[in-house]
Amino acid sequence: MTGRTTIKLLAQLINADPRGRLRFSLAVLLASLASGASVALLGLAAWLISRAAEMPPVLYLQAAAAGVRFFGISRGVFRYVERLVGHDVALRMQSALRIRVYDKLSATTLIGRRRGDLLTRVVADVSAVQDLIVRVAIPTLSASLVIVGTTVMLARFSLSSALILLATAALAGVVLPLFAQRASRAADLAAVPARGDLADGVRELSRTSGDLVAYGAEEAVLANLVGIDDTLRQQEARAAWVRGVASAGQVLAAGTAVVAALAIGGSAVVAGDLHPRLLAVIVLTPLALHEVLGAFTGAAQTWTRSRAALARIGDILDADPIGAGDVVASKDPAPGLELEGVSVGWPGGEAVQQVLSFQVRPGERVALVGPSGVGKTTVAATAMGLIPVLAGTMRRADSVGFLAQDAHIFTTTVAENVRIGAKDATDEQVRVALQRAGLDLDPDRAIGESGTTLSGGERRRLALARVLVQDRELLILDEPTEHLDAETARAMMADLWAATAGRAVLVITHDPDLIEQCDRVVRLRGHAARGSHRQPSP
Amino acid sequence: MAGPIDQRLLKRAGATRKYLVASVVVGLLTACLIVVQAGLLARGISHVFTTRSLPASWLGLLVGLAAVFASRAILVWLNETLAHRSAANVKSQLRREVLSARLSRPRESSSSSASMINLVTSGLDALDGYFAKYLPQLGLAGTVPFLVGAAILLTDWQSAVIVAFTLPLIPLFMALIGYTTQAATAKSYAVADRLANHFADLIEGLPTLQAFARARAQRRGVELGEVQYRRATMRVLYVSFLSAFALELLATLSVAVIAVTVGFRLVYGDIGFEAALFVLVLAPEAFLPVRQVGVHFHDSADGVAAADAAFEFIDTDAGAVGLGVAPVPHELSVRFENVSYTYPGQNERALDGFDVAISPGDVVAVRGSSGGGKSTALALLLGFIQPGAGRICVGGRDLRELDIDSWRRHIAWVAQDPGMLNGTVAHNVLLGHPGASMADVEAALVDAGADFDGTKSVGDDGEGLSAGERRRVALARALLRIRLGGARLLVLDEPTAGLDSSTESAAIRAVRRSGAGALIVTHRLAVAAAADRVVELGVGR
Repeated sequence: MTGRTTIKLLAQLINADPRGRLRFSLAVLLASLASGASVALLGLAAWLISRAAEMPPVLYLQAAAAGVRFFGISRGVFRYVERLVGHDVALRMQSALRIRVYDKLSATTLIGRRRGDLLTRVVADVSAVQDLIVRVAIPTLSASLVIVGTTVMLARFSLSSALILLATAALAGVVLPLFAQRASRAADLAAVPARGDLADGVRELSRTSGDLVAYGAEEAVLANLVGIDDTLRQQEARAAWVRGVASAGQVLAAGTAVVAALAIGGSAVVAGDLHPRLLAVIVLTPLALHEVLGAFTGAAQTWTRSRAALARIGDILDADPIGAGDVVASKDPAPGLELEGVSVGWPGGEAVQQVLSFQVRPGERVALVGPSGVGKTTVAATAMGLIPVLAGTMRRADSVGFLAQDAHIFTTTVAENVRIGAKDATDEQVRVALQRAGLDLDPDRAIGESGTTLSGGERRRLALARVLVQDRELLILDEPTEHLDAETARAMMADLWAATAGRAVLVITHDPDLIEQCDRVVRLRGHAARGSHRQPSP
Repeated sequence: MAGPIDQRLLKRAGATRKYLVASVVVGLLTACLIVVQAGLLARGISHVFTTRSLPASWLGLLVGLAAVFASRAILVWLNETLAHRSAANVKSQLRREVLSARLSRPRESSSSSASMINLVTSGLDALDGYFAKYLPQLGLAGTVPFLVGAAILLTDWQSAVIVAFTLPLIPLFMALIGYTTQAATAKSYAVADRLANHFADLIEGLPTLQAFARARAQRRGVELGEVQYRRATMRVLYVSFLSAFALELLATLSVAVIAVTVGFRLVYGDIGFEAALFVLVLAPEAFLPVRQVGVHFHDSADGVAAADAAFEFIDTDAGAVGLGVAPVPHELSVRFENVSYTYPGQNERALDGFDVAISPGDVVAVRGSSGGGKSTALALLLGFIQPGAGRICVGGRDLRELDIDSWRRHIAWVAQDPGMLNGTVAHNVLLGHPGASMADVEAALVDAGADFDGTKSVGDDGEGLSAGERRRVALARALLRIRLGGARLLVLDEPTAGLDSSTESAAIRAVRRSGAGALIVTHRLAVAAAADRVVELGVGR
């Protein structure tokens, strides 16, 4: 995503709120007034002192004194209000973006697709919009206004000095931050592989720590990670060097503006082109103005970081939806599940299974087995109606339940988690579902952060209660025993079979114990050439 | 946070101390330059103003002023470089210590691992802001106001009084506001935080919502949640921006007050023009570093939070062994003598008075209900954790006295959910004995019942291998350690469901032939049948 498309997205988000433009402009205006107040304070104070040195009647100083006091107070007030307005705008825009992303993701089928950390990353990426508004858009726009305003004011007294001020401001506010940002971006990019290596290494260390320690390999792994850390340090040092040069450059730019103003102003006073009273004004104002420019450095860094995050969000928003998103009702209901000569595959990809024919009748348990990557989950997604069949005919019962091995447990009460399966379920129905799933938990108990944590077995049973809370004719179970210890798995499956008697059940599994408990087995065979077939990523 | 500088960081990370000293030196030099700069500016302007002519030393004055700015630029660069170097040193030190701490606690839960990974990879980067932005400003704030204040005092004591009166008010007011709003902020922050996670929770649960045809219907919930979240966050911000408001107001207002009083005193001839200008230029400089500390306070909070998280992780009591130095006895009989263990933070014992004796070459199976402490017993044997009561003896000596690394060399362990390194199957099997040849690796794989060879690639978290295949790789690793690495005891934890028991039994028989003993946790009859003895554990729970 280029800078322009990022700005386009931001503009759309501002306009999502009918008063968004107004709020945003107000925030920029307030920020300009706040920064402007501190420049004006020093400029006016310089004038006041110069005027006072001429020892006029005190009356002549009252207006300027009132002005100095006003700027002294208003800076803090403007800044406080600006921050509130700015954050409000940013939060509204974040909400608008979150809803868009939610709409987009909820309309594309996520079940059975390789999504990696997409769903966890998207939340952090969306929040980049806040940074872009609060730390980039408002500070840079307002600082630009202040620079232009100050230059115009000073140009009335001394054009050449004002132009030098504008040039140094452009240098310190635009050129140097951009240079620093570019250079540190290059360094950041160079550090990406090292950062990736570090993350991979640390994750590996954490996952295999038991094995590493038991087999005495911890020192070697640690040494390897320290090596990666060293590489990272060298790359970061380069970025820090550039940042240091840029900061030093900003001080030099400020110095140039001040020294030039003094040289030009001094000569102008001697030549009679400038009123002596204004000399202090044109020399001291640059000092205050250059302090405002600090905002640009941080803004340039945030811009790089946030733009990358928003680019990822842009990719999500631009992607075509795949499949139906939500499970849809069967168009041609039949008892159980019937597949005849069906080819399955993800829209836009090739078929992973062809001429597949099997049936699951009510009261039957059928195991769907086959090596990893052969398309078992794709068959499940097709059976649920999430993606269309590529060829052949499929008929299924109207109500289908899906027990995923990675079913999400929401941070709410036990009962609300069960009600995901049937939103109007009564307390009694929830209680019965929990009982049938063999889970002895208080329905009002909160789960997650503020509540309790559940064991792997309990989570699986809670997901099962969700499936059982409504009567469903067809059940699809995706690796129901995976990651459970043998005993827990056995006990849970016993409860599951009891609760689903008379229903058509399709079980995707590798578990030999579980396969034995099924009436029939459907074996999927992989094509030799399709060992590494990749599903489209969202 | 107790003070402006994190005590633990200061005490534990030597680079912090050095940097603090350096930043104070930089601060002192900067303050001197600022005073010289103000003096030159005031002299130049006042001379031209009063005489309408350039002073004799005009060029020298301009060059001197330029030199002051150049020196300040060098100091800024120096400070940035030093800050980075210190941040990098502290980060590297903490990374190393966190990782070592993680390795000293191999049984750490996965949830704390997630935060550890986050901490080591990106969390500690918050220290960059702490060192690069907060600490330098703190160094300036601790030096510049005093030197600049002293310069003002020598020129015009009345203005110095205003500075001396308002400057301490800034931290005082900030602390006061922070203190009075603390409870309210914490409460609304907790609400905002919960609401913030609502969206994350829904996004992560989207596939589940889709399975129940509820994803689109939840949009309304997202919208409502967003409105609530914004309101809650704004309530937090109204209060939390107050302290910054107090800071800005006091700082700018006192500059304004100084300017106005100096102005009126000029009219009455109480103060000279040059002195007045000098004070006007210096006054904002006295407040600037203090204001900057306020601005970068967040960087400080983030950095300190990251360091605290690291120290907390490092300082968590490992409860592991590693102090013993005694060599492992030649005769490798193992006895659990009334061993009990309770996990930290739990009331119930995970293992309660466990007794078992394993003679060299013995194959012993342990059976028991889930949660009976079987895996805990194995972790104790490996020295991952220490018995709370009772003891484990090896050849008659307490395990705690032995050099734990050499003891572990005698064990070939297969975990319940074995960890897989990125690379190839061979890479993983070689962990058992790094010097082994490919032929040895292949032989071990065959004996472990694998129908794939060592060249098969293994991705992140064992991707590309099924649970059963992973188990076989781990078995091959253990067999290699027994055959070539000199391990004398196979320790097999119970595999998760879904694995056939015939390969396990075959592997156990292979171990038995080699003369090594085995301790096996299982509930399967076929596996238990391969053992000499079956011990029940946790019966009646």
